[in-house]
Amino acid sequence: MNNTRFINFKLVICVLSGIALVYIIYPLFSILIFVEPNNLLESLTRPRVIDAFVLSIGTASVSTLLIALFGIPLAYCLSRYKFPGRSIAQIIIVIPLVLPPLASGALLLGVFNPQSFLDRLFPNVEFTQSIIGIIIAQTYVASPFMILASMAAFDSVDKSLENVARVLGKRNLEVFVRISIPLAKKGILIGIVMTWIRAIGELGATLMLAYNPHTISIQIYEDNALGGLSQAIPGIILSILLSIVLVIVYSIIVKKSSSDTRKNNRIFSFGDPWWRN
Amino acid sequence: MIPEKTIESLVLETHGGEISLTLEIINLVKSFPGFTLGPIDLKLQDNTIMVLIGPTGSGKSTLLNLIVGLTKPDKGSIHINDVDITNTPIESRRIGYSFQNPSLFPHLNVYENIVFGIRKSIRDNKRSQINRLVESFGVSNLLDRDIYALSGGEMQKISLARMLVTKPKIMLMDEPLVHLDTKTRVQLRKDLRRILKEEGVLGIYVTHFEDDVYALADSVSVLEKGVIKKTDTLKTMLTFPNNQPMSTSSLSEFFQKDHNYLEGCVTDSTNGITTFKVGEHEFEILGDYPIDSIVGVLIKPEDIILAVDYVRTSARNIIKTKVAAIYASNIKTGILNIHLVINNISLVSRITQESKDHLKIIEGEYVYAIFKATAPHIVREEKKGYKIS
Repeated sequence: MNNTRFINFKLVICVLSGIALVYIIYPLFSILIFVEPNNLLESLTRPRVIDAFVLSIGTASVSTLLIALFGIPLAYCLSRYKFPGRSIAQIIIVIPLVLPPLASGALLLGVFNPQSFLDRLFPNVEFTQSIIGIIIAQTYVASPFMILASMAAFDSVDKSLENVARVLGKRNLEVFVRISIPLAKKGILIGIVMTWIRAIGELGATLMLAYNPHTISIQIYEDNALGGLSQAIPGIILSILLSIVLVIVYSIIVKKSSSDTRKNNRIFSFGDPWWRN
Repeated sequence: MIPEKTIESLVLETHGGEISLTLEIINLVKSFPGFTLGPIDLKLQDNTIMVLIGPTGSGKSTLLNLIVGLTKPDKGSIHINDVDITNTPIESRRIGYSFQNPSLFPHLNVYENIVFGIRKSIRDNKRSQINRLVESFGVSNLLDRDIYALSGGEMQKISLARMLVTKPKIMLMDEPLVHLDTKTRVQLRKDLRRILKEEGVLGIYVTHFEDDVYALADSVSVLEKGVIKKTDTLKTMLTFPNNQPMSTSSLSEFFQKDHNYLEGCVTDSTNGITTFKVGEHEFEILGDYPIDSIVGVLIKPEDIILAVDYVRTSARNIIKTKVAAIYASNIKTGILNIHLVINNISLVSRITQESKDHLKIIEGEYVYAIFKATAPHIVREEKKGYKIS
């Protein structure tokens, strides 16, 4: 009796999981219907698609660097220091994640529009409809990924190891560089990858702040709007190829860092890729 | 705040030669909700090893945290050679601290862990010092290992070596051996005392194990409910009459009640029998110990028998002593403790009221105290020449 019930349970889990997996993978294949094999290569190398793709990769990289520069110290600060308003700060950092990207874009437009205080302060800087605009939009919406991942990573570092380093005569900066960062490495790297992925995929806030020049997301959006799905295919295929590369990079990071920090350091993780089991 | 230069030069100065080292704690207080440590006053000198014993929650670890700088005191001050270090940052105090857990850095291998505290630029100059400690702890074969592959004992040795290579003049140890198996603990304890003495380190060792006291201590402090109840040298602490009030106080929780502690120098060791000398008296124990080494033994009072006349017996230890006091044992009614003294030796024998009456033992008279070579339980063994403060 019990046995049948167990089998039924297993069956239900398998069926639901199967549906979920098919749901995720099916669109990747269905897109092939729209591909015109004859001129695929030609359309893939269409200059406006390539430019948008390169622009996305470039801006996402700069955005990720900027977020790392400010976000990792912020994550460390929120993880280590006790100060009034700390819990409020921990809520504030999640806001860009919770806000619909279009709303974020609108908020940013409020700050950086051509009549704004900042625009008047820096008259020579194009904050909107520019590469800077794209980076502003990306850094805003992608920052929570870096900060949350790094914060969890710093939280998981055994504080007594930092104390030992201090007792051994190391100053705070050296403790940070030689102990905290290496031990939080995996979480931080995952944060970097997630941030970069988010920045590449960013559409909503960019739409509001910097429709031009086109990032790959906006290019796909516009191609589809003007010429239908078949026109958007090149951008979509490039994005899929990039995703495959990112999945591989991500799994390498997870694999490498888990062998570095086995056992006593359970560090923030989005889980190991399935093929490692 | 003390300029760091002072601390640095102070440490260098004390490293240089025979200049003595004093750690002084004055009126130190730290309060937590529901618990207050202190006021603590303590003065330690040179390479004394003080064992701080007390029950869980008595504030032992807090005291160490205060000394090393992990916790800020509410009141009072800490001085090294009259320099106030109360507000000196941890990294500038140059006080070693060994935690209950080895706390090795998981991303570094054994060697990298050991040399972590030494700047890269001077590692080459410090090579002999590093090697010496690595050899002392017997971990030279582990240097290129990953720390996950180590046993608990090895980890703790590496943790201690890592701290000691930085040449701290003061070393604080918070039950570093508590998680180890008995055999490893006994061996490492012996090694630890030897190494601390060889390195000339002033040590404070926190524990709630009696055995740690015997094996490591020059002096003993008893901490209870945040207050130091008693501080004295190990010998005084364990020797009658000083230990007599202990049996009725909380101290008896930590030390075997009314036992005898003898410490002396080995003069001969043949055929499995070792002779050691306390003052001008010689005692024999089982086992082989190096000549000139110092041994400390515990003898249960019930293992010492008394005779009013000299008797020929198979027991190898017989010593004429004076009855200093007779008092009721608190173990059981009808049992008496006979306190015996001769020169600097003080012994307690436990006999029944009946025996005492039968032998007509009275205070001030001489009796022979007799015990077999198997009776003493060796608790301490070390090379001669360590300064015992």
